Amino acid sequence: MKTISKKLSKAETEAFGAELEEIRKDVMAKVGTEDANHIKRVHKAYRYTEILGRGLIHFSFEPITFGIGTLLLAGSKILNNMEIGHNVMHGQYDWMNDPRFNSRTFEWDIVSDSKQWKFYHNYMHHTFTNVLGKDHDYGYNFTRLTDDQKWKPVHLTQMFSNLFLMFHFQWGVGAHGYRVEYMEIPKKLRKKRTLKEYRDVFFKKIELQLVKDYLFFPILAGLNFPKVILGNLLANMIRNVWTYSIIFCGHFTENAETFSPEEIKNETRADWYIRQLKGSSNISGSKFFYLMSGHLSHQIEHHMYPDVPSRRYQEIAPRLEAVCKKYGQNYNTGSFAKQFAEVWKRIFVYSFPNKIAKKLLGNVKEVQLMPEPQIVMVDTTSEELIPA
Amino acid sequence: MKVLPFIYNSPKEYWNYFQPTNWLEFVLGEINPLYSVSTAKAKVIAIHSESADAKTIVLQTNRHWKGFQAGQHVPVTVEIAGRRVTRYYSLSSSPSAKNPTITVKRQKGGLVSNFLNDRLKVGDVIELGQASGEFTIDPSALPDKLLFIAGGSGITPIHSIIKTLAESNYKGQAKLLYFSRFKEDIIFFQSFAKLETGNSWLEVKHVLTDVPSPGYESGFLTTELMDKFVPDLKERLVYLCGPAPLQTSAKEFLKDNQVISELFLLPTQIQTNYQSSGPVEVVLLQSHKTVLLKGEKSILEELEDQGIYPPSGCRMGICHTCTCRKTSGSVTNIKDETMSDSGEGNIQLCLSRVDEKLELDF
Ligand code: FES
Repeated sequence: MKTISKKLSKAETEAFGAELEEIRKDVMAKVGTEDANHIKRVHKAYRYTEILGRGLIHFSFEPITFGIGTLLLAGSKILNNMEIGHNVMHGQYDWMNDPRFNSRTFEWDIVSDSKQWKFYHNYMHHTFTNVLGKDHDYGYNFTRLTDDQKWKPVHLTQMFSNLFLMFHFQWGVGAHGYRVEYMEIPKKLRKKRTLKEYRDVFFKKIELQLVKDYLFFPILAGLNFPKVILGNLLANMIRNVWTYSIIFCGHFTENAETFSPEEIKNETRADWYIRQLKGSSNISGSKFFYLMSGHLSHQIEHHMYPDVPSRRYQEIAPRLEAVCKKYGQNYNTGSFAKQFAEVWKRIFVYSFPNKIAKKLLGNVKEVQLMPEPQIVMVDTTSEELIPA
Repeated sequence: MKVLPFIYNSPKEYWNYFQPTNWLEFVLGEINPLYSVSTAKAKVIAIHSESADAKTIVLQTNRHWKGFQAGQHVPVTVEIAGRRVTRYYSLSSSPSAKNPTITVKRQKGGLVSNFLNDRLKVGDVIELGQASGEFTIDPSALPDKLLFIAGGSGITPIHSIIKTLAESNYKGQAKLLYFSRFKEDIIFFQSFAKLETGNSWLEVKHVLTDVPSPGYESGFLTTELMDKFVPDLKERLVYLCGPAPLQTSAKEFLKDNQVISELFLLPTQIQTNYQSSGPVEVVLLQSHKTVLLKGEKSILEELEDQGIYPPSGCRMGICHTCTCRKTSGSVTNIKDETMSDSGEGNIQLCLSRVDEKLELDF
């Protein structure tokens, strides 16, 4: 994979890392009342939209109220999954000491068990971001997105399999969770039984979710049950398409890079920051868009600081972008349409073997290298600095 | 039931998954912040100054609060800068009062005590736990002669006890020896003056330790003072509450007495001669993190210093919110300097200091 960022020397990398630590310190010092109020407000919105959404679906007699109800329920599920669930489970609000927002106990409205998700996401994905073979989120083990991944005939179908996944994303997320946990056990220690145990955790969550949306609430509607089933199905699907779109824009856009396990050997904290930067991409948009994406619109900031309360990413972004500019590093951002189009281009291009993929990519604009860094590194061992 | 095996096997867990109490709690809270399905909450209905740096907070509790016995304390939870923090305070009113009160003296650098003194307003709602504590008096077996020794904020449970005695027509004889730093520092001065005039069985002596003032005894606890104030010391049941130095010196005099005492002390206030041999690795199994802790403070504090916030409550070993399963490694209990074994067991993070490489189920 080509990089369009300037290659930094060891000292430059460390300086870059130090500037990022500085930002973290500044921001963490401010975390407090505002952040607590934010998550409580979002939580309130999530509760109200659910009550209102389910109520409207339940008592609607024509398509408009039914439609509004479905949208509200979808919105509620999106808030629950994105701005609350994802961020709470990263421990962003553990400091509040509020059981509602505690990463250890939080469980979300999706068929993915939160503990399994925390393992493959918080640990595997956030530690080994875009490292092929280690970050199982890179292509989710079925989508080929770079020439470093081996081509197989099955990849020819990946446009369709991704379209399918988009509508059923929660199932993908859930099934992914237990498999990653299994794949991370050393081969020799794997037993058939363990896989079954992991799978049962997933099955249990499915059961809980399905009964809630497709049995409990429909039964409350009596003979009107088909309407409620349909409303829930649509709401879940809207949520699926939305989360898929946001999440795929996070790491699979055109200039998001991948790494090999060899590259990350002896990685320092600063190297890790650089990798997070190169591997992630942002989406620009409105405040409402940021909220509904759980601030994954700020994927880069999120990857640098996964446990900083998400609404802070907006204020970190300009600072981080300035630091990137200073060090000649590409800060990958763009509109949702642009980023989403790039993702699909990548899915399409790499569904073919490398030769064809290269040709398809050949028509793409020449890769533009970022300008030289505008920093002067001071050699601390230089003699002039040693006081006489 | 083959179709729904998990729900069939644990219907209760499924019901909890619906979060019925969370929902009810949410709806009730939206109607009135004092309403709740299970949490004891209280509205602040009045605040008055009790001394130079102590305030009495009058509370109107909801029906979940089960009351208290004179001398007990209650966990109080407030939100400070977005964070829920819990501290224990003695109830200072008598249990028969319609509105219970707590009296809070500012602690130097104390987060909650300063918050309650400066920022709490009438109308605010705070969260309470249930009252507990053994520093109480048995109304069915009241002794004839009592001695109360208090220092600083240690007076609050004693105030509650003496008020209760006054209400129950106590027939014996009680003396109170109360140490404050200076005149304006005396808590409940007015209240005790009133109690003393209205109840012939009560005798109060104020002692100022830092700034002498005419009309007041000054100094610390001495044989001379004791002999003068309570010549019949041996016959008395003693209630002792106050800072550690006072308690240590008081206990010298009270070797032959039956003493009921209470010591409010944060684990970190206890002096130790412990020398750490360097940072120790602590593996957090559930959050998949490994951190280095110095072993100088409690694990809870050291984790918080690193930005990791395990659930915690009282931070002094009472509430067990911070209890965490340890799968390996040993810790030292800060309070009594005992070492745990290195096997599996539950430890309280706020009371434990790391000794060797630890694995925590957190
Ligand atoms: S926090 Fe209450 S016991 Fe540790």
